[in-house]
Amino acid sequence: MLVVRTLPKRLVICALSLQLLYLPVAATAAEKLNAAEAARLLQQASFGPTLSDIHAAGQFTAEQWIDWQLSMPATTHADKIETLPEQKTPVPLSRLETWWRIALTAPDQLRQRVAFALSEILVVSDQGNGLNNRVIALANYYDLLLTHSFGNYRELLQQVTLSPVMGVYLSHLGNQKADVANNIRPDENYARELMQLFTIGLYQLNPDGSKKLDAADNPIPTYDQQAIEGFARVFTGWTSAGTTNFLKPKADYLRPMIPFAAYHEPGEKRLLNGVVLPAGQTPQQDLQQALDLLFAEPSLPPFISQQLIQKLVTSNPSPAYVGRVTQVFIDNGQGVRGDLAAVVKAILLDEEARSGFAGVARPFGKIREPLLKTAHSWRVTQSASPSGHIYLRTLADSHNQAPLQSPSVFNFYRPDFSPSASLQQAGLVAPELQMLTASNALNMQNHLYSQTVGSIEGLVANPSQFQMLARFQPFADVLQHQGLNVLLDQFGLLAFGGAMPAELRLILTDLASGLGNITPAQKAAYLWYFILISPQYAVQQ
Amino acid sequence: MRHLARREWLKLALKGSLGLATLSSLQLGLLPRALAAGRAVPEGYKALVCVFLYGGNDSLNMLLPLSGQSLLDYQAARQSLAVTDPIALTPRTAIADGLGLHPALVGLEPLFHSGALALVGGVGSLVRPTTLSEVQAGKALLPKNLFSHNDQQATWMRGQDPHSPDSGWGARLLELMYDVPDFSSCISLAGTNLWQRGAALSPFGMSAAGVPELTALKGSGKRAAMLRDMQSRLFSAQQHPLADQFALSHSQAQSRSAIVATALSQAPVLQTEFNNANPLALQLQMVAKMISVQSLLGVGRQVFFVGIGGFDTHDAQNSVQPALLGTVAEALSSFYRATVELGLSEQVTSFTMSDFGRTLSSNGDGTDHGWAGNQLVLGGAVNGGDLYGQLLPQRLGSPVDMGAGRLIPALSNSQLFGSLAGWFGADQTAQQLLLPELSHFDSGALSLFKS
Repeated sequence: MLVVRTLPKRLVICALSLQLLYLPVAATAAEKLNAAEAARLLQQASFGPTLSDIHAAGQFTAEQWIDWQLSMPATTHADKIETLPEQKTPVPLSRLETWWRIALTAPDQLRQRVAFALSEILVVSDQGNGLNNRVIALANYYDLLLTHSFGNYRELLQQVTLSPVMGVYLSHLGNQKADVANNIRPDENYARELMQLFTIGLYQLNPDGSKKLDAADNPIPTYDQQAIEGFARVFTGWTSAGTTNFLKPKADYLRPMIPFAAYHEPGEKRLLNGVVLPAGQTPQQDLQQALDLLFAEPSLPPFISQQLIQKLVTSNPSPAYVGRVTQVFIDNGQGVRGDLAAVVKAILLDEEARSGFAGVARPFGKIREPLLKTAHSWRVTQSASPSGHIYLRTLADSHNQAPLQSPSVFNFYRPDFSPSASLQQAGLVAPELQMLTASNALNMQNHLYSQTVGSIEGLVANPSQFQMLARFQPFADVLQHQGLNVLLDQFGLLAFGGAMPAELRLILTDLASGLGNITPAQKAAYLWYFILISPQYAVQQ
Repeated sequence: MRHLARREWLKLALKGSLGLATLSSLQLGLLPRALAAGRAVPEGYKALVCVFLYGGNDSLNMLLPLSGQSLLDYQAARQSLAVTDPIALTPRTAIADGLGLHPALVGLEPLFHSGALALVGGVGSLVRPTTLSEVQAGKALLPKNLFSHNDQQATWMRGQDPHSPDSGWGARLLELMYDVPDFSSCISLAGTNLWQRGAALSPFGMSAAGVPELTALKGSGKRAAMLRDMQSRLFSAQQHPLADQFALSHSQAQSRSAIVATALSQAPVLQTEFNNANPLALQLQMVAKMISVQSLLGVGRQVFFVGIGGFDTHDAQNSVQPALLGTVAEALSSFYRATVELGLSEQVTSFTMSDFGRTLSSNGDGTDHGWAGNQLVLGGAVNGGDLYGQLLPQRLGSPVDMGAGRLIPALSNSQLFGSLAGWFGADQTAQQLLLPELSHFDSGALSLFKS
């Protein structure tokens, strides 16, 4: 049971948080965020709540906080990549280093979180292809997602389609018109994945995200092979910027691709729903009209809205929630379709997002991705290395994911993945668990142990230049001067956006007494480690 | 802990308060017998090893004609992607215009000629026997979402139409043979996968490096015991179904990893060399190690899953695919040699699966998603040195070409699975249960194994 206790004056931020946490009446959207509400919003809209971010958000209502975040310029990545000390040029690890630095410290947290979600929908990867050493190019693609995170999805589609990184990844860079004499036809790669993964999916959807059914109760495919071939013909005649001879493309992985009419399929293109693009259009005309057509498809708003909800808020949203967000995707209130700022706002301000955790009918929340766990822990403990850099070389073993390093365009996990018969029978998905194997489960625990108990600032003798040191002293002070219960309240706020689940609190209380004679910082680190690996924390609610 | 299968309870009971690491090899030797008590166990030991080639291997280009009109058709269809320097194979059953092997698979040639390697031609996901005219008339009953990566991967892994809950034929095969298959009968070196997910079974996902130990719980003192106790309380049943799944996965990961680590600590040192730079070889090396301790784990049947990606060669196929095929050939031949070294070559069969075959026609420097393809089956029990099924004509506009060189399979992959399952110990009835679509095909068409 939580009880109001006399608040000591030592940690002002903490005291404020606790005071707000104990407000008996839940604030409505129009009222300023109390500490618990701020923490819950920050779980969904940042790389994890910290005491100072919770405190800062307390000045705002939920909507004001989102508006404040929406107004912030993007912290871009490509211009902040630093080379490793022993390297002359940046390597993939340098890009990840930048990603961590920005995830941990950038003020535009909401934009960074949304771009990360988009990077798992509009997937490119440096794994197993010619992009593995194109470090700046990959970061530039990430910046493209950041720049358009609060823009319009149609424009984002345009930029993604013309990105040379995407052009290499899905092989439409250099794709040519058919050469009938030699049995060569346009490459279908981008055409197919654009439809299956980036816009409309395999089956026609109702606005609430459910599949439309035909008279025989079967789902209705959105496209057929003929449409794939039509779109494949659309995406011909594009290559790297600066190229003068189409057959000898210049290596430009940064600027948008440029058209060459002579290599563009001149004939008509049969697309969807009987739409045929006329023969003889320019590459630009065909591309514009083909993307316009997909953008206007009724399945696109629920297809994208549902995935964004799943990545930010909950794996199993109610159809009504998806429907409400879809409506905003279709029309932001000013007649504009695809306004991502409005969509993100609708996702986060929805009643289900704000108070869905209190419901019992539908299991609310999502499995926290390993990257989000580490980012959150480092943020909470203000972790930093002596050099200021963040090199984590074991992401593959422990996290089984890294930004823009998916094994394929199908991302690390599918939005409809459900790991067990019992979850499937309950009609529930847990997409992020597709990444979880026994080895990863243990490796991730070891990673979190080493970043908490094994990295306490002040206790690590002779840390290397790159060892992340976690600042547990503030928590040790709370433990020492205010007692275990206050510390657990504080951890509850940070990890659960409110009260810590009772059974976990009991375990941690027993743990604290079982640990015996160790320093308060060590004790705080052990407690935080157990929270990080707990099944309760595993679900962001 | 409540979800643990009976056999794991037994194992944990045997372990007592000592911890598995302290069990002697003598005690470990007794484990299988203790665990086997009270149920019928299939005779002997057998393992199936699925090698998944992610992305859709252009497997039609692994086998090609050597002469005559077939070769001219092949070259016309394939253009710059045609293989120019194939290895001539001499299958036991002669094939008109010859049979050439992709040169990157040179490492497999001796295995073919020694009879350990069989080739399965013209196989794909089929619901019914299908003809071009039925396809053209729109009357064919086709697998859903042909040409889509994840959907077609699933058709290979399921071996049946999608059901809820979804399951794969690898796990179902074990669940048909055992009341409660042991976790260590179902092991993946390539992550979660549908092939190994059954009604209750899911793969034990380990890495090629082995199984880790939890740093936090190391040691034998009072504190370590307390932490172990706290950790097992932490991963107890949860109200939230997602949290519960997470808790279950973690408690199982811990107890099962301890069992596997203990078994692996007894593994003999393999003399067979595996290339450290070959990721598939490293996965198969760990499979070989696991097989070497199967008697300690006490399982009579095992299914293993390994995988390698990159086969989606829309681009640069002439450089990408040969490198990948070379990787596969090297890994498979090392693995076969390891099973010989262990004296288990006749009890281990490995086979390939892939999303789909690819188009015969080129998109300039690569191929697009197709349908029928060829697969490899390797092992001491295999009646190899021959091609089973059909070497489909690599000719555009042939009676099996549904357009652009997307070929209609002559064999259903369920026929291939049925043959593998039959060798593993599933009788005709069990095969039909396992693979419902098999009733629409000749289930005896593929006699891949020595009788």
